[in-house]
Amino acid sequence: MDRRGFFGVGGAAVLLCTIDGKQVAVRTADDVEKVDAAMASLRRPRSAARKQTQRDPLDSASFPSPEPQPGGQKREYWIAARPVKWNVAPNGGDQWMGKPAPRPSRFTAFVYQRCSAGFAEPIGPPKMPGPTLRAEVGDTIVVNFRNMGTGRFAQPITVHPHGVRYTPDYDGAYLGDFTRVGGFVEPGEEFTYVWEAVPESVGVWPYHDHGPNHTLNTFRGLFGTVIVKPKGAPIPDVERVLYLHSFSPQVTGIPRLLHCVNGRTYAGNTPTIRAKVGQSVELHVIGGDSNFHTFHIHGHRWQDSGGANVDNPSVGPNETITAAFREDNPGRWLYHCHVFTHQDAGMAGWYLVDP
Amino acid sequence: MLPFRSLPLVASVALLAFPTAALAIDYPPAGNPGKGGTKVRAGKAKTLTVCKQRKCRYRSIGAAVRKARGGDTIKVRNGTYKEGVNITGSRYDGLKLVGNTGKPRKVVLQGKGLKGAKAQNGVLINNADGVTVKGFYARKYKANGFFVVNAVGYTLTKLVAGHTGVYGIYAFNSKGGTMSRSEAFENNDAGFYIGQTPRQTKPKRSIVSKVKSHTNVLGFSGTNMRYVTIKDSDFYNNGSGIVPNALDSEKFPPPDRNVISGNRIFWNNFNYYAGAPFTIPASGPAGLAGYPIGVGVLLFGSQNTVVEKNRIFGNWLAGFGAIQQIQLALEKDPKLQEASVLRGNTVRNNDFGLGGGDLNGRDMFYDGSGTGNCFAGNTVRSPNVPADNSTFAPCPGPAANTPNSDAQKEGLSWVVGVNKSDPSTFEKFWIKHPHSVQKGIKPLERFTR
Repeated sequence: MDRRGFFGVGGAAVLLCTIDGKQVAVRTADDVEKVDAAMASLRRPRSAARKQTQRDPLDSASFPSPEPQPGGQKREYWIAARPVKWNVAPNGGDQWMGKPAPRPSRFTAFVYQRCSAGFAEPIGPPKMPGPTLRAEVGDTIVVNFRNMGTGRFAQPITVHPHGVRYTPDYDGAYLGDFTRVGGFVEPGEEFTYVWEAVPESVGVWPYHDHGPNHTLNTFRGLFGTVIVKPKGAPIPDVERVLYLHSFSPQVTGIPRLLHCVNGRTYAGNTPTIRAKVGQSVELHVIGGDSNFHTFHIHGHRWQDSGGANVDNPSVGPNETITAAFREDNPGRWLYHCHVFTHQDAGMAGWYLVDP
Repeated sequence: MLPFRSLPLVASVALLAFPTAALAIDYPPAGNPGKGGTKVRAGKAKTLTVCKQRKCRYRSIGAAVRKARGGDTIKVRNGTYKEGVNITGSRYDGLKLVGNTGKPRKVVLQGKGLKGAKAQNGVLINNADGVTVKGFYARKYKANGFFVVNAVGYTLTKLVAGHTGVYGIYAFNSKGGTMSRSEAFENNDAGFYIGQTPRQTKPKRSIVSKVKSHTNVLGFSGTNMRYVTIKDSDFYNNGSGIVPNALDSEKFPPPDRNVISGNRIFWNNFNYYAGAPFTIPASGPAGLAGYPIGVGVLLFGSQNTVVEKNRIFGNWLAGFGAIQQIQLALEKDPKLQEASVLRGNTVRNNDFGLGGGDLNGRDMFYDGSGTGNCFAGNTVRSPNVPADNSTFAPCPGPAANTPNSDAQKEGLSWVVGVNKSDPSTFEKFWIKHPHSVQKGIKPLERFTR
């Protein structure tokens, strides 16, 4: 085992899933297969309101769908979740170290993909993270979601957002017998989520699967980003979202942990960001697994939300930090997670600044 | 919302003939599709083979169907089968009926000469979920070529349906299916039809893709059709192309949450009253006087429907039209009044007139009724109605659109005063232009053998 392989396997975590009310350790690909099979046969929960022993008026309460505020608009998206063949190192090499990236590098991922209206056709290739949903305060975000899971991914899934306001129906969370309508979308079904961009929603947030198998499915690629700006706020010249996350061997069947940025591993495969001196830059970094990461850009520094100067802030699971600065330093730079085991296993990329 | 009651033409509106619901020709009653869920049969699925020769155990498809159960595959060899195939009941969930997928015309389901129920449909799927039918040519049935009712998750692909008494390929009161890579022609109602889709909280979308529909009264009809995407298909040489419509003769009006995307919709100027390869029925859009001929896409009452990225050309009356369902608007029932309203429809990024090489008579017609309807990014090359474009609100659509009584009068004038005994009356509002050349297709206005 080489150094990178050692770091990779050493960082793998045991996943925990719940089957029939029992917590199960998912250590191997076989365990994953069993969990998938159990989830595929999971029955749609009955309404908790029908169960005398668990009845609570809250569970049968109805809530109106939100409308945009005056001056706001409805931002409509069509998003399908579907399996895709995924290569974490499509360009082959680790450009930072000038070596080939370890093989194998392909597995079947599960992603959210933006589509045209009516799911008539996909818009662009499948990506991680999934579509970025943009809104301004006062808008509603309407997500027409379709579960196109097939094979072992034919199981109920959802879309659960952070940051925006929603009623329980649009939570997109499986809650066992208390599951509301949007918390269990079976293969072939659609559900339309409606979320509000309220003033407190300003920021950059993740969304992800929160169905009954959400841990595994989020780790397979079912995640994306919501960006809410104040009304009329300018868009930065360069704005990118970077998910720091990993694919575990249980999920991929590849015998090492794959440390990734946006589903790719090693510089040259991970996103290469390009800017020019003088441009406003905002890089939104989100922790996309169960690890804590840091985000470091060589040659740059910026202020955190508290006003402190930083160049390597930490970011936890499903937390967002933003590196915002006016570009002033041309050259080829690295960005990476500064947890050494992560950066050495591929959580790094290029930041190129033109004069 | 009420229609423009002040219009003098309103009294004539009730006489307008718009697409009718499925004709009651031995149709099974509508149930609740998918009520029990698809049952998975224990044991290994079988393959049953049908052919006209002695080597096959089954000489008729019906005989194989009677022996088959859900999940089985029935393979049908080339030949002509004079029968109406009936697949009814949940015991057939997941059945596959496979003809010649490379050359569907080699496996003919022939309705001519049949009597009774067998003469109605080439293939009837009733109350059976997840059934697949592919690789057949159904012709000369009294009702439909291929008909799905009360089912969830049908797959109809690589089929041909022609010369039927009503519809070519048809799904009614069903949820979530696929119609693809198929052709329907010379049907005296619609080539393809999805109707009476039950409302669903988490809908199963139906996809119609890569189909051809031509030489029909309508290319596609959709009475109270929901959650349907029609894409990448050709609708040409029909009386009108694609017509989602709201009617109270079927359950669940109006049509809602449909998408018409990426299709070619052209030359829909087939004046069947001047001659047709089929009999004009007593009912249906052709049977009643006053149905417009020469429209590419017509929304006759629709909600939350998207019409985008279509190429619409050579339709002599109008490429696209949207009008309130005026008959429902006159009903006392507030639910039917609501169903009449054009609400939340989006028409965007369509290309009209094929770069100037095949112009529509008019590109877009909209009476301005309803709320939240909007138009964006369309390339138009012929005049719109109204000519001042005052009804074509930009996206997102306004809380209330701006009605235009002159536009509605003009639209009504196209269907009032026509007379099916005088075919020329259907052409008097056409604005004709030279057609383009489309490989393998000739424009059809008046049928001659």
